[in-house]
Amino acid sequence: MNWNFSAGNFSLRLPVTDQDGDALYALMSVQEQVDHLPRLAMSVSAQALDELRRMAMRFETREAAFWLVEGMYDKQLVARIGIQKINWMQLSAQLQWELSAAVELPELQEIFPAIANFIFDELNLHRLEMRLREGSDKHEQLLKNLGFTFEGVLPAQVEYEGESVNMAVWSLLSSDRSA
Amino acid sequence: MNFTPELPFDGGRVRPMTYDDVDALFAIYQHPEIPGQHVPDNKDNLTRMVDLSVQMAATQRGMMWLLEVGSDDNYEVQGMVSAYDWQPSQLRTMLRVDGLPQLSAEHRAAALNTCLEFMSGKYHLRNFGYQWIAGQDEALKTLLQDCGFSLCATLRDGWRTGTETFADVVQFHKLLDVAKPVPGRLGEQDNPGQNLDKSFADKNGGGAA
Repeated sequence: MNWNFSAGNFSLRLPVTDQDGDALYALMSVQEQVDHLPRLAMSVSAQALDELRRMAMRFETREAAFWLVEGMYDKQLVARIGIQKINWMQLSAQLQWELSAAVELPELQEIFPAIANFIFDELNLHRLEMRLREGSDKHEQLLKNLGFTFEGVLPAQVEYEGESVNMAVWSLLSSDRSA
Repeated sequence: MNFTPELPFDGGRVRPMTYDDVDALFAIYQHPEIPGQHVPDNKDNLTRMVDLSVQMAATQRGMMWLLEVGSDDNYEVQGMVSAYDWQPSQLRTMLRVDGLPQLSAEHRAAALNTCLEFMSGKYHLRNFGYQWIAGQDEALKTLLQDCGFSLCATLRDGWRTGTETFADVVQFHKLLDVAKPVPGRLGEQDNPGQNLDKSFADKNGGGAA
């Protein structure tokens, strides 16, 4: 199975621990790009290396897979998109993304179908969900435009900056694509 | 060490499991409440389940009680109550009751509330979830709402029932309106621990640095 693939003007590949630190740090050190998770932005570059090692370990156990999305020609990192909490019994996984300012709906419409095809057709998963901080309007609008369905809000799921954060749940089923 | 207490409720009690309960567990699992749940044909894994119930409680990952109806020394096993996906840092857990057909709604609700109150008081949990899976008894949803749970989300095809069949999961939550405990190290607040500079009477800290 080839985990690296292309989508229109973008290429998606698994990260390489000793070479992607700077680019990942640049992406994840911007607070508004990780606010919807919710997560604090990285503040020292060593955090990117730690995150890369964590990604590698989680991929080895097939618990998660994260792709770095780069421009096909300029090779600039524009997003990290991944699935985590892969449940091979329930055939489900959670989608997570961090998008740079360069990625809006048109770019996602180019990138995401390739990812969805890989998840549903290659990995044979059935349910893909995203849990994100309630009120993340920009991301919820993107999900809606990509065909996700809003399922509700789970209350007080995480503690963040001293507050209990409610998480909105959106999902896409393999059967939604043919509907 | 026993981390799972015996707790009385109106009309019965919940208590920790022992190896002597394997037959009772086997009987409960002959009546699976959840669609697609496998009916075990032997008791091998149920002994392991008793071990896991102890380990889960000791490591704060979950807790399992046997649900008995009756009084004094005349108790009948009618189900079990489980807390799982326990997130101590997030002060939340999921709950579940598995009952034999004769378990009444009153006893089910009383046992659920008793375990919930225990986990709230002992471990300060304040967010309790319960997943109702399409195909289960519809009356359970009403029971949950009567217990103070609210429907929060319907996870489409969130539960796999067969090779290519799935059921929706309706997720309820009950949030307790109680203050969160203030985090502190051993020796701070009202726990003197080994901090000899701390007074038992001085709950707000103080003492020499």
